[in-house]
Amino acid sequence: MTHQTHSYHMVNPSPWPLTGALSALLTTSGLVMWFHHNSSFLLTLSMATNMLTMYQWWRDVVREGTFQGHHTPTVQKGLRYGMILFITSEIFFFAGFFWAFYHSSLAPTPELGGCWPPTGITPLNPLEVPLLNTSVLLASGVSITWAHHSLMEGDRKHMIQALFITILLGLYFTILQTSEYYEAPFTISDGIYGSTFFMATGFHGLHVIIGSTFLIVCFLRQLNYHFTSDHHFGFEAAAWYWHFVDVVWLFLYVSIYWWGS
Amino acid sequence: GLRPLVSTEAPPIIFATPTKLSSDFPVYDYAGKNKVPELQKFFQKSDGVPIHLKRGLPDQMLYRTTMALTLGGTIYCLIALYMASQPRNK
Repeated sequence: MTHQTHSYHMVNPSPWPLTGALSALLTTSGLVMWFHHNSSFLLTLSMATNMLTMYQWWRDVVREGTFQGHHTPTVQKGLRYGMILFITSEIFFFAGFFWAFYHSSLAPTPELGGCWPPTGITPLNPLEVPLLNTSVLLASGVSITWAHHSLMEGDRKHMIQALFITILLGLYFTILQTSEYYEAPFTISDGIYGSTFFMATGFHGLHVIIGSTFLIVCFLRQLNYHFTSDHHFGFEAAAWYWHFVDVVWLFLYVSIYWWGS
Repeated sequence: GLRPLVSTEAPPIIFATPTKLSSDFPVYDYAGKNKVPELQKFFQKSDGVPIHLKRGLPDQMLYRTTMALTLGGTIYCLIALYMASQPRNK
């Protein structure tokens, strides 16, 4: 009967890195086919294979951690480093869009009228829905902290309630922002203002959706008793990601919605 | 159900509140019950099956579907790119 004499996780051979990489190939070539050859078949296929890969890969991580006990403190430390590095890379991703915004808005060209917002653009009132959105995300930061403390104290009922509230607030933000997008008096093709506005807020909105999905997965796992009061890294990773999404919004609100109006 | 590892006879009550044995497993199933211990036992069976196929048939079906779509899509993609790279003489 063999057993390992170290605390690291030697993973079973898995097909998901291959299917993930191939789905990335299908995504890139699918975009080419959609942009230039009027066909969305490859892109649809790529979305399907990507979703299937993500579902099965993360399902296996849950099996390995919660059911097989492979997530020793050493392994958990590695997972923490991984999540921190990933979020850091996302910070740099958003930094690019903020750079683009400040590059164009700090020195507006004569073509724009030499002013920001450019001539002809009516920006959204930062004290209306955008302010509500800010309060919604800040409140969700409070509720997720409540959920975490409840989890650490073994208070199952309140953890479930608090996490549920967090998810509802996330969904509320998404609905409000969708409505704002629909009602906005300018579009993505309205010059550099439209481009910077929708690229920055659009990618943020996508991250809210990703974060909400992560929270929903944690909610289902909590219902199924996967988390214990001292071992719940999946939840912590979701909470870190959620706080990151909140902070990006605060930068967006102050820079683009408030200063940029 | 699981065979209890210890005697299922209630121990003599020492404190006022009776305690429940952890090996008490009701046979019937209902939503909200903690199934993690059984799942732990299930996934720790040393049968040599890799984690992504450990549940048997449902895992296999999903794996085969994913692989078929991915590999089929790759072949389609290579053909489509080959055809798209042919010059279109006007």
